[in-house]
Amino acid sequence: MVTERKGAFGIGGAILFVLAGLGIALALYRFATGLGSVTNLNQGYPWGIWIGFDILAGIALAAGGFVVGGLMHMFGGEKYEPLVRPTILTAFLGYLLFIVALLVDLGRPWTIWHMIIMWHHESPMFEVGWCVMLYTTILLLEFIPVVFERFNMTGLYKLWKYSASWIAIALLTLFAIALTQSVPWVIAIAAVLILFQLSVEVGAIYRHPRMPTLLLMAGIIFSTLHQSSLGTLFLMVPHKLHVIWYSPWLPVFFFVSAVATGLAMAVFESILSARFFGREVETDLLRSVGRFLSWAIICYLGLRGIDLIVRGVGSELLAWTPQCTAFWIEIVVGSLIPLAILLTPELAKSTTWLFSASLMVIVGLIVNRVNVAVIGITSKYSVTYYPHWMEIAITVGIVSAGVLVFVFVCRHFPIFSDERSAKGAG
Amino acid sequence: MAVNALLIDTVRCTGCRGCQVACKQWNKRAAEKTEFFGGPGYQNPADLSKDTWCLVTYNEVRLGDRFEWVFGKKQCMHCNIPGCASACPVGALEKLDSGPVIYHKDKCIGCRYCMLACPFVVPRFEYGSWNPYITKCTMCYDRLQMGEIPACAKTCPTGSVTFGERDALIREARERIASNPSEYNHHIYGLEEAGGTCVLHISKVPFEKLGYITDVPRRPVAAQTELAMKSIPAVMVGLAVVLGASYKLRTRAHLRGEDAERPSGTT
Repeated sequence: MVTERKGAFGIGGAILFVLAGLGIALALYRFATGLGSVTNLNQGYPWGIWIGFDILAGIALAAGGFVVGGLMHMFGGEKYEPLVRPTILTAFLGYLLFIVALLVDLGRPWTIWHMIIMWHHESPMFEVGWCVMLYTTILLLEFIPVVFERFNMTGLYKLWKYSASWIAIALLTLFAIALTQSVPWVIAIAAVLILFQLSVEVGAIYRHPRMPTLLLMAGIIFSTLHQSSLGTLFLMVPHKLHVIWYSPWLPVFFFVSAVATGLAMAVFESILSARFFGREVETDLLRSVGRFLSWAIICYLGLRGIDLIVRGVGSELLAWTPQCTAFWIEIVVGSLIPLAILLTPELAKSTTWLFSASLMVIVGLIVNRVNVAVIGITSKYSVTYYPHWMEIAITVGIVSAGVLVFVFVCRHFPIFSDERSAKGAG
Repeated sequence: MAVNALLIDTVRCTGCRGCQVACKQWNKRAAEKTEFFGGPGYQNPADLSKDTWCLVTYNEVRLGDRFEWVFGKKQCMHCNIPGCASACPVGALEKLDSGPVIYHKDKCIGCRYCMLACPFVVPRFEYGSWNPYITKCTMCYDRLQMGEIPACAKTCPTGSVTFGERDALIREARERIASNPSEYNHHIYGLEEAGGTCVLHISKVPFEKLGYITDVPRRPVAAQTELAMKSIPAVMVGLAVVLGASYKLRTRAHLRGEDAERPSGTT
């Protein structure tokens, strides 16, 4: 069994290794010579596809970690349990990759720790930075029991089980201090969280046997703020972002589309990894995730539609410009076609169609984020921007490295439910 | 505290570029290798850069039946509420009460959000360096501290660049326009642009003819993010309450049943 799995790695794995290696080599070259030598970024376009794809889209693709792992836990549905560990792993790896991409994009990445001590709480970028730091910590805490289980570290597991909630409370309070700098708000937030946890401790609220609820709650809160804050970043540029995307509701759109993408990623990954590792596809489960996905898409389309009408942008949508074309690709591929698939009962039953629909949602999301960060940005006073091949190669390298690590962890740690139950039985 | 500002009167400008040279000298910016480019004739270089913080622009404008040079000046506008300073996550860009927007290079992490946020497309990034910084005009803050006036204003031979207190300069600009209404376009660029700036421009012709960015929002760009940033704590408390309550309600049955291992019942 084990040898068979390793055999499946073959040529695909070799290609991924080469791409990851090339990406690392180019990244080293970039650190030696500066951003100008590997990117086409210029004074009018300071942000390119690294921001649009690696960062904005990358974070949204990691949303499965809080949508499946978190919301399901809060609002019911233990049946989704088999999806929780794979989505948390994806989210955790996604965030680590995102941090790598950020280090490549930042001009002076060795100073990134400045954000921890040099507070400027009015800045949306400050919020983004803090969400990244703290949510990555939360994801590590959510993922770590897998490691304890793998190496039978019972003592550490117990320590985790009883301290994780309090660490989460501490991180949320710290975040509130940094971002609000208001004593009443900090007290209010800390009070609600501590009250909840004390109720759990005294038995007034049910203690979940495996996952400290407050840890997931912290994950949801940080994710919500992080996903939406990436939209807030672009509220700062009413003069540069195309009117199709520039809306005061941008943070909300970023959040809702991230929820949809989180669900789509859960479906996409389950089917793909089931095929890759030769396991059964959890069909019933994925069908109900598909139903949630269709609701998320309806919400998203409704909000975007109302916003475009209220702001009177209708006529802009029919112009023959790159921006309009990009908008329609985003909406048709990312929302309309997948919605049609999910709402057609015959298609929604089929694994293949479910897979296609989620893949389209993911592609649509990526197009949307690239639109906001690159295509929708107009800078009249400089030459325009097209990504340099080395920018693309570094991105491809980072993603390849991520896939390799994901496969490695899935092979060597108890991620999928059938392996866990098999282990428990044996 | 008196708010310092610059008044740029392009009607008085002869295009000598003394300010450009003085700026380079005082701020120790390197000379640039430049080349001819299409468009505005004698202008050199084409744009602001990491080494050019002050640039006289040459614009051929049709006035009546003939073409004339009308000059403009590109530099940091030192906004009253600057987008760059609001955007910076580590406070590397700072608006001083005395007017200038200055840059603390030791704080900068190189995220370039200030460049995106600036409505006037002013900050320049050192793309060619492994250890890059943002660069821009500082209103010669170091000179101001010594009681001197900015290098460009000091050197201008025609009084086209005037340094002074913002309110006084606004009055001065209005007087110049009122006393010579046919020579001036009746608009003070920087009075309302981006919520008001500490560099004010007046000119013979409308500013779009000088290549100035004229569709700048009239409110500070930072005002757009205020609501989103202020709702953070409300979102945190709201989510904590809703999620906690929902979990509590959902798990009521488990609590009564006290089943230790696996909660069941949800199908």
